Amino acid sequence: MASRIIKYVEKSSVIHKLDPRSKLILLFSVLASSTLAYSLAVALPILVFSFIIYFLAKLPWSATKNTWKFIVSIIVFLSTLNYLFVAVLFRHGGKPLSLETLLDSEILARTFTPIVKLLSLAVATVTFIYTTPPYLYAPALGQIGLNYKAAYVVQLGLRYFPEFIEEMKRTLEAQMARGYKPRGGGNIVARIAALAPLIVPVTVSASLSIYDIADAMELRGFGENKCHTWFRKLKFSKNDFLVFALSGIMITAYTILFIAKPI
Amino acid sequence: MSQEARKKPLITTTGVVAMGVGTALYAAFNVFFNILQLPGAQLVALRPSVCIPMFFGYAFGPIVGFVSGFLGNVISDAISWGGFWWNWDVGNGLMGLIPGLAAYFLSKDDMYGRKGLVSVAVLAVLASVIGMGFAAFTDYVFGYGISTIEEAIYALFLPAAVTNAINGAILTPILVSAYASAARGRARRV
Repeated sequence: MASRIIKYVEKSSVIHKLDPRSKLILLFSVLASSTLAYSLAVALPILVFSFIIYFLAKLPWSATKNTWKFIVSIIVFLSTLNYLFVAVLFRHGGKPLSLETLLDSEILARTFTPIVKLLSLAVATVTFIYTTPPYLYAPALGQIGLNYKAAYVVQLGLRYFPEFIEEMKRTLEAQMARGYKPRGGGNIVARIAALAPLIVPVTVSASLSIYDIADAMELRGFGENKCHTWFRKLKFSKNDFLVFALSGIMITAYTILFIAKPI
Repeated sequence: MSQEARKKPLITTTGVVAMGVGTALYAAFNVFFNILQLPGAQLVALRPSVCIPMFFGYAFGPIVGFVSGFLGNVISDAISWGGFWWNWDVGNGLMGLIPGLAAYFLSKDDMYGRKGLVSVAVLAVLASVIGMGFAAFTDYVFGYGISTIEEAIYALFLPAAVTNAINGAILTPILVSAYASAARGRARRV
C-alpha cells in the first residue's frame, strides 16, 4: 500500500541531489512567474524551463505514466472547454461563425495561454514530488525558517495518513461483515447519508485520540522551547546556489515584464 | 520557569495535533474515495470527504479547520497525481475555516445541541460557496487553465460548490452529533 501511495522515485540525478529547500524555492519561482505571465510568448519559456528540470531528473516512464495520463486528460478537457467558450459561445463582436474566425490567432492565444501556464506548473510540481523523499518535507520546511510547530503539522499529517487509510479499510470490512452496503436507493441525500457508517467511526475515534497524542507529546517537552533542531540536517551544495540565482533572475525578469509589458 | 513562559501560546500542542490529524484524515478520505472507488457510491457522492475540514473547523476552531483543509488537499493532490494548486488548496482551507466561526456566536453548550446542528449545516453550505468560489475565480483571474469567466462559473464553481454543499450539509451535522455523544463524560473533550 505504502509503496503505491508514495510517489518518490529513488535516483541520483542532479535534481535528486538538490537540497529540498532550494527545490521549494524553485517551485515557488515557477509558480510566481507563471502567475505573472500575461501572454503566450511570455508563458512558453516557463514551460520549456519546467520541462528541462523534468528531463534533468531522468524519471522512469513506468513510474510517471499514471500522472501523465491524468495531466493529459485535464489538458485536453480544458483546451476543448476553453476553445468552445472563447471561439463559439462567447466570442467578441458577434462575428459570424466561419473557419477564419475559428482559427484566429487572438482566439488561439486566449485559449492556450492558460493551458501553457497550467502545464508548466504541473510539470514543475510533478518533478518536485517525484524527486523529494516525503521524510524530508517537514525538516526542509523547518530549516527554511518556518516555525517548527507548523513543520510538525506536516510531519504529523504524513505520519498518520497511511494509518487512517488502513483504518478506513478495516472499518469498511467490519461494516460489510455486518451487512453494510454503500448504497441508499436513488435518493441523493440517502446515498450520502449511507456513507456515515464508514466516515463516523474513523473520524470520531481519530478526533478522540487527538488529546492522547497531544499529552504524549507534551510529556516529552513539545512546545516548551522556542527552537527545535532537526535530526536530518540539510546542507546546501554548489548547485543549490545556482538554483537560487536562477530563481531570483526568473522572478525579477517576470516582474519587470509584467510591469513593462513590452510584447 | 518564569511566569512569562507559562503563558498559554497562540497555538497549543492540542491544536498542532488536531491540525495534523485533520490533515491526515482529509487526505486519507480524499484518496480513499477517489482512488479506491466504493461500488455504488461514485459520482453522486463526489468528495464526501469535505465534511472533515468542516467538522474539524467546527469542533477545534477556525485555524485548525483551515490548516486541515489546506494541507489535506495538498497531500491528497500530491499523492493521487503529484500536483499542487495553491488556490484550490486555499479554497479547501476556507471550507474548514468558515464553520469554525460558529464559536464566535454560539455558546459551548449550544454548539452541540439542536441549534448547533442547524447552524453547522448552514455554515457548511456557506463555506462551500465561499471556498469553491474563491478557487474558481482565482483560476480565472490568474489564468490557470481557463480563459473565460463563464467557464469559471459553469464548469468549475457550480459543480464543485453544489456537490460540496450537499455533502457538507448532510455529513457534518452527523459527525458533530456523533462526536458530541462520544465525547460526553470524557475529561476536557468537547
